[in-house]
Amino acid sequence: MIHGWAYRFAAALMLLWGAAAQAAESGVLIRADVLRDKPFIDAGTVDKLAANAAVTIAARQGGWMQVDAGGKSGWVRTLNVRLAGGGTVGGSSGVLAAASVFRTGSSGTQVTTGVKGLGESDLRAAEPNAAQLAMLNAQGVTPADASDQASRNGLKPNQVAYLKPGKKK
Amino acid sequence: MIGRTGLATALALLVCAPAALLVAAPAAAQFPNFDSMVKGAESLKKGADSMRTIGEPEEVQIGAQLAATLLGAAPLVPDPALQAYVNKVGFWLAIQSERPALQWKFGVIASNDVNAFATPGGYVLITKGLYDRLRNESELAGVLAHEISHVVRKHQLKALQSALGTAAMQDIAGAAGSMSGNSALSSASQVIKGGKDLFLRGLDKEDEYEADRMGAVIAARGGYSPYGLVGVLQTLSASPTDGAFALLFKTHPTPVSRLERLGAAMGSQLDTLPNAADDTPGFVTLRNPPPPPAPVASVKAAPKVHAKKR
Repeated sequence: MIHGWAYRFAAALMLLWGAAAQAAESGVLIRADVLRDKPFIDAGTVDKLAANAAVTIAARQGGWMQVDAGGKSGWVRTLNVRLAGGGTVGGSSGVLAAASVFRTGSSGTQVTTGVKGLGESDLRAAEPNAAQLAMLNAQGVTPADASDQASRNGLKPNQVAYLKPGKKK
Repeated sequence: MIGRTGLATALALLVCAPAALLVAAPAAAQFPNFDSMVKGAESLKKGADSMRTIGEPEEVQIGAQLAATLLGAAPLVPDPALQAYVNKVGFWLAIQSERPALQWKFGVIASNDVNAFATPGGYVLITKGLYDRLRNESELAGVLAHEISHVVRKHQLKALQSALGTAAMQDIAGAAGSMSGNSALSSASQVIKGGKDLFLRGLDKEDEYEADRMGAVIAARGGYSPYGLVGVLQTLSASPTDGAFALLFKTHPTPVSRLERLGAAMGSQLDTLPNAADDTPGFVTLRNPPPPPAPVASVKAAPKVHAKKR
């Protein structure tokens, strides 16, 4: 009991300090890449990494990941990294495990109430809920509200054209 | 309104068709081409029907019914601050799209499953299970912008249209619009069944790839890093394909193929956007569980542990 509680408490702390939990993420390079000293394409070279090199992810910034690879630290392109999945490795599963432990914990949060699966049978059986729709409509905001939050959070719009499909390999 | 006209036309056709046949038989001798004239008129009518577009009010009606159905399976998370925040992030992104004037509504729904849904007319729902797995606001933006793209391109509406037929959808939307509350919702069972089929079957893979490409750009237009969506797809690619992820995996191309397509489309052309944000203070504050002021929480909680131990 005590141990379980302590574990849940630790899990809750991990969630609160999400960055710490994410530090455990690991992956492999799907193609050879240069380990750079800064998250820029023209930054200095720390090392050259081969495809399938194992990396531990320390941080993410835009299209870059700060990683540890073979004892060296530097930056690689996010698109060149595939996260390790399932089981024992991979921070995401760690975060998920922590999240579910916390959510079902006896410490109890409002999240445990009314939480349902949303699988095939749940959707098949679903009846339209007019009261919930009314709530959804009522919680809508205005474009002005949205712009206000964006500006308070320092978001600055950019003009970006849509992407064309890439070349298939 | 247009739906009612559609219904009236359909009724008129039903009433007139037998009469036309009765007339056509004896008339065939006198007017040898009458039969083909009737057929010609019918195929013209059919052609016009498939060309007709669903108007925006009808689209919203249909979308509302489908959103109500999803909410019937998993209700909104009772957290007004979270819902308001997600609505503001979502509408800010929608402003960057080609349909800024829709009455966009966003909702976080109480399910541990990992999924997000768009329904026609500007309704976007994301499960708490997915929300809790997001690392930062640019990932939330990536998910919402992906769903916004489906609405902008009318992917769900077109899929429903081809499954149910345009006329049926217009009639149903029109009938629902003229009623209120539960009766309106229940009258739309055909659209609701079509919507459920669509939620369980998923869209065309190409629609998903397109929504990924558009979503990354819409997020970037809003001032976010376009790599938020990449981060979410990476999370999915490292996730089990069953349990909480089963329906999402069943209805979408694999995360790895989505990453490959999106990566090939992006290249490095979005890497130099100025001020592209990974996160904002808003996301951090509303992270689940709703964090009490962090230092206070740890100070308060620590003695409790000791109390229990003794």
